[in-house]
Formats: sequence, structure tokens, C-alpha cells
Amino acid sequence: MIAPTLIGTLVFWFWPAIYSIYLGFLKSENFGLDNRWVGLANYERLFKDGEFWQNLRNTMLYVALFVPTTIVLSTFFAVMLNAKIKGRSAYRVIYFLPQVTMAAAAAMVWVIIFAQDYGLLNSVLGTHIAWISDKRFAMYALVMVGVWAAIGFNMLLILAGLQSIPRPLYEAAELDGAVGIRKFRWITLPLLTPTLFFTSIVLVIGATQIFDSIYLIIGKTNVALPAVRSLVYAYYQNSFIYYDQNYGAAIVNILLLINLILTGFQFLMQKKWVVYD
Amino acid sequence: MNVRKKSTAVTAAGVLLVASLALAACGGNSNNGGNAAGSASAGGASSPAASKPAGGDPKKNVTISYTIWDKNQQPAMEAIAKAFTDQNPNIKVKIDVIPWGDYWTKMSAAAPSGTLPDVFWMHGGQFIKYATGKFIEPITDKVTAGEIDLGNYASNLGSIYTLDGENYGIPKDFDTIGLAYNKELFDTAGVPYPDDTWDYAKLAEVAKQLSQPDKGIYGFGAKLDTQAGYWNDILANGGHILNDDMTKSGYDEPATIEALKARYQLIVDKASPTHQQMTDTDAVEMFKSGKLAMIFDGSWDNGNLASSDIIKGKYDWAPLPKGKVMRGNIINGLGNVMSSKGKHKEESWQFLKFLGSKEAAEITAQMGAAIPAFTGTQDAWVKSQPDLNLQVFIDQAADAVPYPSGSKSYPVWFAKEAEIMSQAWGGAISVEEGAKKVAEMMNQAIADAK
Amino acid sequence: MGGVASAKRRSNIVIHLILIAGAVIMVFPFLWMILTSLKTTTEATQIPIRLFPAEPSLRGYRDALAQSPFLHYYANTLIAAFMKTLFPVIFSAMAAFAFARIRFPGSALCFFLIISVMMVPNPVFYTPQYMMMSKLGLVNTVTALWIASLVSPFATFLLRQFFLGISKELEEAAVLDGCNPFQIFRHIMLPLVKSALVAIVIIQLLWSWNELQWPLIINSSPEKLTLSAGLATLVSMFLTDYPVLMAGAFMAVVPMLVLFFIFQRRFIEGVAFSASKG
Repeated sequence: MIAPTLIGTLVFWFWPAIYSIYLGFLKSENFGLDNRWVGLANYERLFKDGEFWQNLRNTMLYVALFVPTTIVLSTFFAVMLNAKIKGRSAYRVIYFLPQVTMAAAAAMVWVIIFAQDYGLLNSVLGTHIAWISDKRFAMYALVMVGVWAAIGFNMLLILAGLQSIPRPLYEAAELDGAVGIRKFRWITLPLLTPTLFFTSIVLVIGATQIFDSIYLIIGKTNVALPAVRSLVYAYYQNSFIYYDQNYGAAIVNILLLINLILTGFQFLMQKKWVVYD
Repeated sequence: MNVRKKSTAVTAAGVLLVASLALAACGGNSNNGGNAAGSASAGGASSPAASKPAGGDPKKNVTISYTIWDKNQQPAMEAIAKAFTDQNPNIKVKIDVIPWGDYWTKMSAAAPSGTLPDVFWMHGGQFIKYATGKFIEPITDKVTAGEIDLGNYASNLGSIYTLDGENYGIPKDFDTIGLAYNKELFDTAGVPYPDDTWDYAKLAEVAKQLSQPDKGIYGFGAKLDTQAGYWNDILANGGHILNDDMTKSGYDEPATIEALKARYQLIVDKASPTHQQMTDTDAVEMFKSGKLAMIFDGSWDNGNLASSDIIKGKYDWAPLPKGKVMRGNIINGLGNVMSSKGKHKEESWQFLKFLGSKEAAEITAQMGAAIPAFTGTQDAWVKSQPDLNLQVFIDQAADAVPYPSGSKSYPVWFAKEAEIMSQAWGGAISVEEGAKKVAEMMNQAIADAK
Repeated sequence: MGGVASAKRRSNIVIHLILIAGAVIMVFPFLWMILTSLKTTTEATQIPIRLFPAEPSLRGYRDALAQSPFLHYYANTLIAAFMKTLFPVIFSAMAAFAFARIRFPGSALCFFLIISVMMVPNPVFYTPQYMMMSKLGLVNTVTALWIASLVSPFATFLLRQFFLGISKELEEAAVLDGCNPFQIFRHIMLPLVKSALVAIVIIQLLWSWNELQWPLIINSSPEKLTLSAGLATLVSMFLTDYPVLMAGAFMAVVPMLVLFFIFQRRFIEGVAFSASKG
């Protein structure tokens, strides 16, 4: 019964991951048909490349901005929706809409919303900011799009977590005089930590792989590209546009390492903040 | 029925799983050997014996694929394909457009896996890479056998797609660059139209004169572009893109940097939209909506400009301005080539040959798609839109400089060039710094390709 | 008492206001997409900004359809989504049940091998998978879009958690009735995890629907692309001709939107459900 999944995973996932590590030690020519073992040369080049460090910083910055913002806003809206109000299901449907929009399609519409001269955002805010081609703002624009798309899904996860908190606990707290923020701080939040932990793990893994919005919103000849380029974008660029798949492989292998470290770190840290009953 | 469909799908999936496991295992220990096997099968496919069965039965119905990158030329290519199918009813041609920005990425992914289209557009810069990789079919024996005469084509376009004595491509068209201008904007300002007496100083002067930044109207689109952009400025100013033997970048020559700076200055002087604005709205798109008075553009793009209802009948072409040293203009010739691993090589060759025929050239010309390469058919292109001064493109061809193709490193440095120069154009680094970075990058790419 | 009720009402109004503001932000990009798709290019980039087209134009749709094989995009996306949803659900359910209930040697190792790839970012797989497809002759085929995604470690992991949560008494009773493991799986366990299966179907569907990078890498012919990769091509082709781009974007989002509105309860419950055992 496990054969299909086991074989499929080994062939299409496990083996490629191993092979990617192997590719990082090669230098290929002629469309990858001639390969030469070069040891650590790709990594040496990588570590000496200022652009790589910049890309790494960009990726980490995106994770650091995107994940907490998404979690905070999703929790906020989930708490709002957990109140006994009318139209809850309508709100849930509306907030989930960005999730069922194809990411590529959404990215395309954000491009016009962000445009400097005729963009909706500048019109609403009364500003004249080049959101996606000014290196001071481009990262925030991408985070905005990412959060916009992610809230609905994560809000539902957190809402489910909220609803699993037993009512009697709140009632007991109310008897003790706890209201509003304090109720949230001392009851809701601790009991929500397992859900938040799960969401943050998934969000971090996803956020380290940011590519679509850079590809479609920022684009190849945008002056702000260096300020937002992620490791995955650099991987794509090097492997498929600059024809250097080994350098590309080295980049994603580093990303793999980072993900392992980040996930390990989160599991280590969970003892400090996650409350299991 | 539903059940049966599912079960075949399951079986198929299972077979594939097993097959891929086996193949993946082979791939693992034969990274060097795999190459030999790959080229052996490639050789087998291209041997006469293998291609005989396809050619042996001419009545067999086949569909071949023809991939191009310019959507504006699609109608003309469809018309050529139709004319071809009328003469060869058993061969249908399916035309795909992969836009220029994705074209070479897609082709380089398709090449090593043997999935290149049967026939496709080739660019002089990319050609060597595909020829040395043996991904495109040599046509030398057909040329020797007299099936096609490469002497039929203007200038010496026939020689672009030749490597180590082998012929690979048949010239399709050639292109030069012109100065497109919006007559209405000139008339309103009471400024005479550009003509062949113009130099770059005049261009800059008029561009400033015509700009009304508060209305979103600019005199010139100083876009980040090579062939239809600053490469012409560089040549006019006595600079180089590559040195003559293609061993060194010319981007760090003072004359090159000076030309780049002059173009960038138009942005600084608000005679051109900024790079950021031209990222939000493509410069050609701005010209098409009547917001730019002048822009450099290629002969191939006339169909695109003409498709705009806003500037239809209100724009025309002039030669590029003169520079310090010469009137810079880049001439490039596209070719048609066929895949070396296609399944229908005989039919593909028939189509390739037809694409190189006078008939195909005439269709290209009459539909205004591009300046055909076939000698004597260029006039028909000029006359395809009699109200436009298309003759400037033909006239400029005589003194134009060939596109800097022909080096193995081109595909790499060309892809990286735009990324570096966009930093300069967007103001993140100085133009001089950008040019020097490009030079360094190009020299590295040239060294790596050896 | 009245004071408490009105305070409650006031706080409810505040909550509504906040939620409505959020809802506007969630929905507006869609409206903007539709409005822009009906404008002329000039109207789309007009300063000051213009909300409605003077006269709705379908040119964007006409041009998008003329240059892009949308029917192929729909078909390929559908096929890929179907394969990438159906098989992972079946295979994962089988494997998850086995891992949760059947003791066999090497079980822990196999499980570890499967879930270990969950930590690997997807792009790590792409180049080797591309090479594999190349060897199999699958580059530039619709099959390549889904063949590598017939199994899902994530779904296997999730379902195993659910199976572990089911009490063993039911099965023990079934064993006494003479059921073999397959029968237990099919008739007892599967119905019990139906909601989990729905959740996985929805997650797989959304994920497959959105996927951009893989189709972009593996397929080059326009008629072998999915909607998302087709949209990326449309951007390269029409650059900043926004009405055309928005027309394409709108056509691409419609099928999933329709599906979502029909099955909205299932979508929302499915997602919420997946959280309970994560």
C-alpha cells in the first residue's frame, strides 16, 4: 500500500534532491550534455559573489516581514470573525477570494495598482511612489501582495484553532473579570500557539521560495530587482536564462540548507512558546 | 467507462513510475557516458536511413511545427504556411508564437531534450550555440545539390548561418533601425519633422522642445534597449559593442560611455520618460498612445506601430541621426532553421525551402511583416504602406553595421547586459559604472566560452 | 442590562467596519482587473485615474484570445489539476493507512524518507526533474505537468495523523468479523477520514492551480502550457498593454472562482479542517 507513494517520492523527489547536490559540484557545458567535476568551485564563486549575499538578505527580509505580518493580520481577522456577528460566512468567503485567484493573475493586476503615474494605490494615498521600481519600496510592495494572498487561508486555519478552544475556559475567565485584550492575552493566545506554530512553519517554508511575484511584478529589467531578488529567482535566472544550471543548483542547495536550519530552529524554539495541553 | 479510464491512467502512471526509476538509475552513473549515448542516438536519427521512411511516403499526412517570436508577423507567417499547404496538401504547418523575452529560455530548455520545433526562427547571436550543440540540421548537402541557392539573398545574409563550412539556415529577412516620429506632436509645436540632416544634438534639442512632462508627453523615448536603442548611438559616436575580432567588449571605451551618457541625459533633462515610467508602460506602447514624439524602433516593428488606432496616419519614419563619426545603424538578418531531431525532417525541409522562396518573401513583403531577404523583393515591403517613408530602412542598410553576433558567448552576455544596464538607467549606479560592469561581465563571458 | 447590550452592539459595529474595510481590500483587485480589461489602453493608463471605461471594449479579450491558445491552457490546467489531486489523495490515503496501522519492517525508515522531502524547497527538484523528463522524452508534454506530482508527502503525513487519531476498537471489531486490512481500509477507515480527504483535495487543487515555475521550465510550446504559465507568456508578449493582460488574467481566474462559489462551504471547511491535525 505504501509502494506508489514511496516509489513516487523516491524517484521524483528524493532522488532529484540528491542529484541537485551532485549538480552543485559539476560544471556543465553545451546545454548540460558535457559535465565536469569541479568540486567546490561553484560554492567558492557563490560565497565571493556580493549578489548572492544580497539575494540571501532579500529572502530573509521577505520572510521576516511576510511571516509575522501574515500571522498577526490573520489572527486579528480570525478573532474578529470569531465574535458572534452576522455575515460571518460571507466574510470568510470574501477573505478567501485571493487564495482562489491564480497567483499569476493577481500579480498582474497588482502591477497596475502599483504603477507610479496612473496606479490606484498612489491615487488613493495621494502619493507618487514608484512602488515596484524604487528599491526602497519594492520589497514592501511584494510583502503587501504576499500578505493579501495569504490572509484568507491562514485566517481560516487560525479560526479553526480559535473555535477548538473550549467555551468554559472563557466563561471561567470572565467570572474572574478578564475582558478584551487580557482575555486574548492569557487564554486565547496560549491555546492558539500550536496552530500558530503549524502556520508559521508552513509560511516560512513557502516564503523562502518566493518567486512568482518577483517574476511577474518586478521583472527582468527593473532597477529595483537587486533589492528584492530572492534565492529562487536567482536560481531560475542562473539556471534557465544565463544557462548555468550548476551555479543555479548551488544556490538552491544553500536554500535547502537554510530551510533545514530554519525548521530545526523553529522546532527547538517551540518549547519556549508553544503550549500543548 | 469512468472506471476503465481511471484504471488505464493508473496503469500508465505505474509504468511510468517504474520506467523512470530505471532510467533515473541509468542517469546516475553515466553522466559522462550518457552524453555519448545521447549524441549517438542523435546521430542515428539524422542518418539518411532513419529519415528515409518519412520521405519515402510523400502522401502521409503530417503536421509540422513552426515557431516564431513576433506576434505581429503571425498573420504573414500563417499566409505563407497556407500557400505552402496549398502546394503540399499532405503537410500542415502549425505556427506557435513564443514572445522574444521567453524565446531563448524556452528554446534552450527544448534543445537538449530533443523537443525543438520542426522549423523555427533563428537569430544570428544565438546561432553558434545551437549549431555547435548539433541541435539544428545542417543543410549543406541541399545547398551543394542545388536545391537552394544561398546567393539569392540580399547583401551577404546567406553567410550569417554558416559555421565551419556547414550551412544551417536560410535567410528570412533583415532589419535596420529608424526614427519614428509623431507628426501631430511636431505640428502642434510648429517644429519641422526630422530628416537626414539631423544629428544627435538636434535630436536632443527637439526632444527637449517637444516635452511637456506635466501632460505626460515627452520628446523622445530614451529606452533601455540595445539593437533598437543605444547600440546605434554607440556606433555613431565611434564606440564599439564588441571589438572587431570579438575578443573584447567595447562598453568601456570612452566613446561608448559618452554615447550612453548622452542618451541617459535625455532622461535627466526630462526630454524622455524615466526608466521607471518606461517599466510601468513600455516605451513603444507610449509612442503608440501618442505620448512620445520620437522613438527608435526596428523595421520589424512597423506593423506593431501601425496597429495603433491612436497614431495611425499620424506617424512616419526618418533615418537615425548622424553621430560624431557616422550614422550608426545596426543591421541584422533572421534565418529559418530546422531541428536536427524532428520527426518529419523531409517535410520540414520542404517547408524550410519554401520559406526561403521568392513566393514566401513576397508574402512577407506585401503583408508588411518584415523586409524580406530575397533579392528584389524589398520594394514590395516599402510599398506595403505607401503613406509611410519605409524607404529609410532600405537606404540605411547600405552603411549599417552588422549585429554583434557570431560569438559563442553572446547568449550569456546578452542576457546579463540588460540587467546591469537597467541599474544605470534606473539611476541606481552611474552610466559609466554600468558600462564598465557590462564590459567586465562580457570579457568574463568571452573568456568562459573559450 | 441595556447598557451591556448597546456596548455589545457598538463593538459589533466596529468589528463590521474593520471587516468591511478588509473585505474591500480583498475584493478590489478583482474589480480592478475586470474594469481594466474593458478599457482601452489609453484609459487604462490615464492620468488622473479613471474608474470606468467610457465605453466597455472587448478588444482586450479579442487580442488575448487571438494570440494565446486559451482552450489549451484550460484543458492542460484541468488535466494537471485532476491528476495532481486524484492520485495523491488515493496514494496518500493508502500509504497513510499503512503507516498508521500496519506494522512492517522498515516502516519507520520509509516514513522518514517520505516526509524528509517536505523540508526541501521545490526549486531544488526542478533541474533534476527537468533532466529526468528529458531522458523520458516528456519535456514539452502535458504529462510532464503532473507526472512528478502523483504522490504527496504532505498529504501522506497529514492523513497519517488522522488515521492515528481513530480509535482501534472499530477495526478490532471488523477483524473479528473477518475483514482483511484492505476491507478495513476501504469500508471503515476511508469513510471516517472523508473530511480530511476533502481538505487534501482542496489544498492539492489550489496548489496545482497556482503552480507557475515548473510549467514555465518544462514546457515551451504555447499549447502545452497551463493557465498560469500562459499568463506569464501573455505578459512577455503584450508587455504593458494592460487591457489585454487583464482580460487574460480574468479568463484565467474564472474557472476556479466558479468552482469556489459552488463549493464554498467545502473549500472553507476543508481548509479549516486541515488545521486541526497539523
